[in-house]
Amino acid sequence: MTLALQILIDGFAISALYALGATGFTLMFGVSGVLNLAHGGTMLVSAVVAWWVANQAGAYGGALAGLAAGLACAFVTYGLIVRPIQRSRAIPQEEKEIFVLTGTLLWGIMIQEAVAFFATTSPHTVRPLIAGVINLAGVRTPTNELLTAAICWAAIGVLWLLINRTQTGKALLAASINPRALTLLGYELSRIHLLVWTIYGVLAGVAGVLLGAFLGVSSDNAGTLTASAFSIVVLGGLGSVSGSLVAAYAVGYLETLTAYLVSPSLRTIPSLLLLVAVVYMRPQGLLGRR
Amino acid sequence: MRIVLACLVVLVLLSGLPFVASAYVLGLLTLAYYFGVFAMSWDLLFGFAGEVNFGPTFLIGLGAYGAGLLNSQAGWPVPACVAGGAVVAVLGGVLLALPALRLRGPYFGLVTLVAVLLLTQAVTIGSHWTGGEIGMSLPDVLSIDDSTNYWTALAFMGVSGLCLLLLSRSPVGLILQACGQDPVEAASLGFNVSKHKLAAFCVSALFSGLSGAMLVFYFGTVSPGTVIDVAVGVQVIIAAVLGGRRTIIGAAIGAVFLIVAGELLRPLGQLSTFVVSAIALAVILFFPDGLLGYLLHRTSRADGPPP
Amino acid sequence: MKTLVLASCALLASAATTFAADPIKIAIISENSAISGIAIPNAAQVAADEINAKGGVDGRLIELVLYDDHNSAADAVRAFQRASSQDHAHAVIASYTSEVALALEPWAGRLKLPFITPGAASDELGKRIHGDYDHLKYAFHGYLASAFLAQSVCDAAKDLLVDQLHMKTAVILSEDAAWTTPLDAGYEACLPKIGIQVLDHLRVNPDTTDFTPIYNRIEAKKPDVMITGISHVGVQPTVQWANQQVPIPMFGISSQATSSTFWKDTNGQAEGVILQLVASDTVATTLKTLPFAQAYFKRFGVSPAYTGYTTYDEVYIIADAIHRAGGTDPDKMVAALEKTDWQGTVGRMRFFGKDDPFTHALIYGKDDVSGLVVQWHDGKQVPVWPLNLPGVGKMVFPPFVKIGAAAAK
Repeated sequence: MTLALQILIDGFAISALYALGATGFTLMFGVSGVLNLAHGGTMLVSAVVAWWVANQAGAYGGALAGLAAGLACAFVTYGLIVRPIQRSRAIPQEEKEIFVLTGTLLWGIMIQEAVAFFATTSPHTVRPLIAGVINLAGVRTPTNELLTAAICWAAIGVLWLLINRTQTGKALLAASINPRALTLLGYELSRIHLLVWTIYGVLAGVAGVLLGAFLGVSSDNAGTLTASAFSIVVLGGLGSVSGSLVAAYAVGYLETLTAYLVSPSLRTIPSLLLLVAVVYMRPQGLLGRR
Repeated sequence: MRIVLACLVVLVLLSGLPFVASAYVLGLLTLAYYFGVFAMSWDLLFGFAGEVNFGPTFLIGLGAYGAGLLNSQAGWPVPACVAGGAVVAVLGGVLLALPALRLRGPYFGLVTLVAVLLLTQAVTIGSHWTGGEIGMSLPDVLSIDDSTNYWTALAFMGVSGLCLLLLSRSPVGLILQACGQDPVEAASLGFNVSKHKLAAFCVSALFSGLSGAMLVFYFGTVSPGTVIDVAVGVQVIIAAVLGGRRTIIGAAIGAVFLIVAGELLRPLGQLSTFVVSAIALAVILFFPDGLLGYLLHRTSRADGPPP
Repeated sequence: MKTLVLASCALLASAATTFAADPIKIAIISENSAISGIAIPNAAQVAADEINAKGGVDGRLIELVLYDDHNSAADAVRAFQRASSQDHAHAVIASYTSEVALALEPWAGRLKLPFITPGAASDELGKRIHGDYDHLKYAFHGYLASAFLAQSVCDAAKDLLVDQLHMKTAVILSEDAAWTTPLDAGYEACLPKIGIQVLDHLRVNPDTTDFTPIYNRIEAKKPDVMITGISHVGVQPTVQWANQQVPIPMFGISSQATSSTFWKDTNGQAEGVILQLVASDTVATTLKTLPFAQAYFKRFGVSPAYTGYTTYDEVYIIADAIHRAGGTDPDKMVAALEKTDWQGTVGRMRFFGKDDPFTHALIYGKDDVSGLVVQWHDGKQVPVWPLNLPGVGKMVFPPFVKIGAAAAK
């Protein structure tokens, strides 16, 4: 019984973290059509900055600095790499996607190497915002883990409110369906893009800081983080926020169950196999539109 | 035709290097030549069939481990192992491509990436045979002489490059390009788009697998870090894009450039990867046609493939 | 930046010294972005500068040539080849990763270039040299083989865990890597001999980031202690151990924990971790230990990781061997290296011989290199073993670790 509860709680926390990371990624694709392969790098930067600032300014100061760093990184990605490619006249339209992919991939590598240079490849952990453990029906869980899940859901909740209840949010949704029609209605697409990158930066920043506190992050992880978000997003359906949530929980629980019941070393295999199966049988993902 | 002649001249010149260059330079270029074949195979798929393969190392790794295992477990002679490795790569390529080619854009890319991850897991789980993360040493090597290895690699790259180049310029190559750039139009003209793309995938797999197999017999060892790691795949992609997509030859140039640049930047220590990536990024942003593409556009419009 | 300046200096120096006596070139290959890796070139620099300040070796100055191998065997092999054919190095000090060192061994033989690893631990290193002595004699294993690391941990466990804390059961937690296979075998053999029963043995993937299921599995077995064998991972399992308040203490090998930056990287959650190492900046293992640690700290602002001590000693050992060999002829250097009897920072350093099972590995023993055990407490590494060490302290555990139950039995 305790084992089942342990799996339930652990799975919940890690899935929430996956969900937050994937949500930003899928929103970026849905609205701007950009698959940001520097996603892992952005989360890495947030975590490392949070760690470093926390040493001087305490846990909260660190977390805020990490968030700011994530946002800054997102803006640099947009301004220096994605936007120039999207506006470039030398690249044919149908190839822009490939170039954005390659460009963000290279940028992600640069981030990873820069972090390794300044902070070594050793993992860094962000000081937990709330230390200590809570005993839930015999299962001892770090308070910070529960806080992580809570913050993830709060962020996702705010995002949902933003998209479904505000004018700006509806514009975002519309932009993901039919950008040209949106311009006819008088919306500036460039403002929409900027808004999406801002939201993305905040989501990735929060995810990075939380990941740093929960598990710790090293420059070697950047690629895996991107691949993981990518997989979850495709599983859920590119562009679908609710799809990412469902997929994140599916993957999170699959991994946790495997780690507890089979072996920790094999934890990623079932989710990889699920991904392969879904991509072959239902390529638009669980909740995606074709 | 001018390009082919130019390449032949360059190849002849390069074959004279062992008489003047040090063993170290030869070793570096040998590696670069094998990488060149990786990149050229990738360009066939990307530049012509229009499919971004995020996991070229799936094919390379299959060829490498296929050949390696045939040598270490079954004791086959080197040429048989190389051929065997290529066959494994093509089989793997077909298995991957058949379902994957039904997918568009980012989904295809993702599946190729997942294929690499699964191959890595397979190597780790089968570590009893494959040596896992550490890799395995092979009883045979191509040769211990640097010059022999260099000429082998150069010849291999030359022949592969020629095959791929001629293929790309043949009627089949043109059809492939059409399938890649506008599949709807190509289909309406009566061409079987998926059959052509599958064929392109097989050719790409064949050359990637061959090159992977040759590479392990050059090193005498095979490990995930050298032939399967996603980082290696990224280097292949960067080399091809850097050199100039859709030129085949550009990919080889890009590969040589990357490997040599990485070496020249050695004094920078840890930052060498950073600088190389930054340079590649700059090239992509400012010279999207890549090094060769840029040169081709500057000299003549009639020679290169239409932009 | 350091390496750029160093490379330029090296270039200038090599130009200048063509008119003076030929410098002795030692190639240093390691991963500069890892804590245990950067200690190697740093410590080598400290040693080289000291030797050169005293006039070098028989009038020849030591010149270091640095390479970053990014912890990749392929890059390390390329660097090794370059060191030999391009830079004409006379000796190589390389890597702390067994996989890399094992890949370099055959190349030392092919290129006849003496090579020492200051940090890798796999028994295979010495065993392979023993099995193919004529080809591989150019390779030296300048660190304790895993079998001896296990012995060292067991010897300490006997005094500390069994005699003092009356512990009876343990779970082995190690990463899945080349160096831990013999280490774990060693643990499983020696722990029962001192009265500790091994309840379970977990080998974790070095890429693991989430240790929660692993700690839950361990806790379910209710052992008195976790005996560790970790190097590629360190920060994450330690932080998660503290965050989850796992009530079982950690004791054993944890390479990342040997460096002073570990305290910062874990935000102080390394409190209570007990680890074995060959030297620490708080204990005068020999008269050379603390002066070196202080010189290193003064120059680089952190204490050296474990690889720093052995690298520092091995630069001296190479210099001494060249002096005794009368030159840099590889075969003469190998013969001289085999006769090494050097008082280093880690103890008395001698290598096993051709007929010993771990040929060319460091000899382990109370009067040779014995290692010591320290515990992280309040930001410092407090020595806790051997018990007769000056300044030895008592073990203190964080409040969430439950020792009482075992001690009360």
